[in-house]
Amino acid sequence: MDISSSLALSVALLQQTAIYLIIAYILSRTPLFIPLTRTTVRWRHQIACYVIFSLFCLMGVLLGLPVVNANAQANTPVIGAVLAGLLGGPGVGLAVGITGGLYRYELGGLFALPASINIAVQGLLGGLTQRYLVRRGKTELIFNPFLVGGITFVAVLLEFGIDLALARPFDQALYIVSRLALPELIAAPLGAAIFVEVLVDRRERIERASRAFSGKALEIAAHADGVLRDGFNQENAMLVARIIYEQIGVGAVAITDREKILAFIGIGNDHHVPGTQIASRHTLQAIANNEVVYADGNEVAYQCSISPTCKLGSNLVIPLAGEDGKVIGTIKLYEPKTKIFSMINRTLGEGIAKLLSSQILAGRYEQQRRFLMQSEIKLLHAQINPHFVFNALNTIQSITYEDIDKARSLIGDLSVFLRKNLKRPTEEATLSDEIEHIDAFLHIQLARFSDRLFVETDIPEELLTARLPAFTLQPIVENAVKHGTSQLLQAGRIRIAAKQLDNVLILEVEDNAGLYEPRVGGDGLGLNLVDRRIKNKHGDSYGVTVVCERNISTLVTIRVPREAAS
Amino acid sequence: MINALIVDDEPQARRNLRRALEGAKDIHILGECGNAFEALTAIHKDKPDVVFLDIQMPQVTGIQMLSMLDHTKMPYIVFLTAYDEYAVEAFEKNAFDYLLKPVTNDRLELTLQRLRSGLVSQNLGALPEANHLRQVPCFGQNTIFFLKIEEIEFIESRMAGIFVTDIKGNERPTALPLSILQNRTSLLRCHRQFLINMDKVQKLNYVESGVAKFVTTGGRTVPISRRLLPSVKEWLGIK
Repeated sequence: MDISSSLALSVALLQQTAIYLIIAYILSRTPLFIPLTRTTVRWRHQIACYVIFSLFCLMGVLLGLPVVNANAQANTPVIGAVLAGLLGGPGVGLAVGITGGLYRYELGGLFALPASINIAVQGLLGGLTQRYLVRRGKTELIFNPFLVGGITFVAVLLEFGIDLALARPFDQALYIVSRLALPELIAAPLGAAIFVEVLVDRRERIERASRAFSGKALEIAAHADGVLRDGFNQENAMLVARIIYEQIGVGAVAITDREKILAFIGIGNDHHVPGTQIASRHTLQAIANNEVVYADGNEVAYQCSISPTCKLGSNLVIPLAGEDGKVIGTIKLYEPKTKIFSMINRTLGEGIAKLLSSQILAGRYEQQRRFLMQSEIKLLHAQINPHFVFNALNTIQSITYEDIDKARSLIGDLSVFLRKNLKRPTEEATLSDEIEHIDAFLHIQLARFSDRLFVETDIPEELLTARLPAFTLQPIVENAVKHGTSQLLQAGRIRIAAKQLDNVLILEVEDNAGLYEPRVGGDGLGLNLVDRRIKNKHGDSYGVTVVCERNISTLVTIRVPREAAS
Repeated sequence: MINALIVDDEPQARRNLRRALEGAKDIHILGECGNAFEALTAIHKDKPDVVFLDIQMPQVTGIQMLSMLDHTKMPYIVFLTAYDEYAVEAFEKNAFDYLLKPVTNDRLELTLQRLRSGLVSQNLGALPEANHLRQVPCFGQNTIFFLKIEEIEFIESRMAGIFVTDIKGNERPTALPLSILQNRTSLLRCHRQFLINMDKVQKLNYVESGVAKFVTTGGRTVPISRRLLPSVKEWLGIK
């Protein structure tokens, strides 16, 4: 056996395999190869697998090098067949093998029959190996280049066995095989291993891209979360634009409402100034038609509408949808003339727009709810019972004849009461504020019903600093008088107490009338509103509860969390 | 002299009005009452010419109290209120006299002039609440007992007066004539001398042709007059 000629053939076959691999590499950059990056049972993927590897198998036959004569070739269809089996399973492997085998048989020659059988057997071998690995749960090994190389090596050995068994005359077959052995045993496993490496590489690229994509999307979502809930204004838009700009890394990011630019960050920020009117016709078009407008600078011309020297060369305008799909603004991504607008950024941009839209919506809803609450509180404050005020004045007028000092102090009480009621509602108050309020109120009531109202209060000093929603206690105490004790013929008694249990501040207002009736709307406003405000702020485990024993007592209990002593 | 009664549940409010009235030499203040119950007793006992009547009072308001009085033998009413848009509107529409608390001297003088010029009769029929009786005031020795309509079995008119029998069989006198009780409640006139609460009727017994009587849930009998039997039957929906 001539070692040097065998080596020469090996090098030649390796060169052929290199061409083969270059084609594989080029194809791997196309979407055509995506189905090959995973083992699959889906029939569409299997068909793709069959078609692609059949082509490679035929190419392996085609790129064969004549050995001794043109009818005996050193070739590598084994790569296509084995890989088809490994990736597509025994069925696909066999199908590819038969396809390649038939083609090889057509070429004729001494090895025509054995060579064609070889390819089919090799396809089957790949397929059986895949089935074995899948059953053992070692699917990932299919993409291991060493394993693939090994299997291919075995497949080539098998090929020689079949060649020797079927080709006649035997001595010529043996001669040819001895010439083929080294080149094929080197080139085929190496080619198959590198082929798989190309596939793995391709898969990683896809995954890396989608990982980067979802990573960016999540990052933006996490950073931008809640920013626009506080309102869709310049300040918040600027924050969000910065997050997007930093995360996506486009040339510039802008956010607009329907009329003006709210935020602009990036290239061209010298002439794209937040607060100015929208000039871009793309933006106006996106707002008017509620559609995504994309100007890549090639097919759709892009020219900055503000400055002719602007470096920006392409933009994507995505509308932000508000209630009922109405456009409330846009988000714009720009790339400079020197850069291509990437697909990923386009998709990402549209995703971000959706995210921001829903945030703005949630924010508006929240704002509306808060506004409603505020106006209800205002209403409550404005609810100074005129009957109470005029009766108070009447009482004070009468007392001026008897006890001028008392009358003076009652005028002070009435002033405190009115001032507190008319004060712009604040969010929070201390218990001592609230007590001051009801003290003023009760002093007047005691003067009015001097013969039949008695009030008892028990407020521990250390609780006076406790915080609670302003205007919590007064409506409850007013109810106790108005709908309680003032309806009694005999003496009315009101007890007001505060205590702390664990971390809960408990306020109790009890009267001896027992006339409480749950009212729908109307007068119930006070009590319901107090309850709703507390629940709104602190959750459903707090709020107002009422226990009424008919004609005996009504006990109203208010529960609010007591923050750690501050 | 004009005899006046002050009715208000707030002591200082009574005192304030008393002071204001004391300036008028021809006004004699009979007394002060703190609620409708005291007021009814005083009106029956002292027969004032004019009642200064607060509207907002416990349990029975000033206007509800009027439903417990015979409008034909009524003192002149001057309503008192600190603030009550709806009532004031009704007073103005029907030319009732009213004073807003705290009372100013000029306004009070106007009312006093009206009183001196002669007490005209007031059409209290214009106030719906003054014509709908929810409970019947029954006068005891020193107390007034309020009987809810649903606690009444029947009311009888005798020589000695009008008597209300409740579901427990207790009999109490009331000062309201049968005609007013009939007009202001859902009680049914079944006899010249009887009003019956049809919700408390157990059965109707025919005694002889054209004469029948009710048996109440308490087992007491109430006669039905020959003349009123057809209307009673019609009410019951029988022929």
